Amino acid sequence: METKKMCMALFTGSLDKLTAAGVILSGAVADDMDIDIYVLLQGARAFLKDVADKPEMLNMAENANLRKEFEQGLKRLNVMPWIEFFREAKQMGNIKIHICGLAGKLWGGEKLEDFVEIADDIVGINEYITKAQQADIHLLI
Amino acid sequence: MNEEQLKQIKADKVVDARGTACPGPLLAAKKAIGLIEQGQIMEILSSDEGTKRDVPKWAKKKGYEYLGTIEENGYFRIFLRK
Repeated sequence: METKKMCMALFTGSLDKLTAAGVILSGAVADDMDIDIYVLLQGARAFLKDVADKPEMLNMAENANLRKEFEQGLKRLNVMPWIEFFREAKQMGNIKIHICGLAGKLWGGEKLEDFVEIADDIVGINEYITKAQQADIHLLI
Repeated sequence: MNEEQLKQIKADKVVDARGTACPGPLLAAKKAIGLIEQGQIMEILSSDEGTKRDVPKWAKKKGYEYLGTIEENGYFRIFLRK
């Protein structure tokens, strides 16, 4: 079977959308897809080494008033923290996490070492467009 | 397979994913299928309604044989042959 490709533009830096991205990512990994994630503007902040494991540094995209229910619900259902979806995907499948160079600088992330250990490289926009052109599934989250 | 036949199966690998919600059971199945040989049978225990539909479809795509599902009290037993 031919390997399908997924390309994700991950703009969001919010807890709920990052969790959704993680769930979608898991589905793609289960299907053995080749996955490229381009972490853009707000997303790059969430992927900073000093932020990724600290959900308290992130907001909700929607229904901010229901944050407690959201977090307690995920815990009750044994859903892992958003960044763990990305770590697990990295272990299980062929997934590359690219950080947008502009976004990195915006939040003080000049070097790859400033980001969480699963980030592969810092790239420019042409790489994203090229992968998006080749992808079977393309998502903007 | 019908339910009687499924009940006779002694799976080579049992994956208990009853504590997790979607996509936990699917990820657990994906991990475990790599640990068994071609022709061996895997049984996935899941209390997640979505998984009951997801796993057979996923198996078909990946070329594994879906043998059937037994509904127990509050969870499902899903059988696949690699």
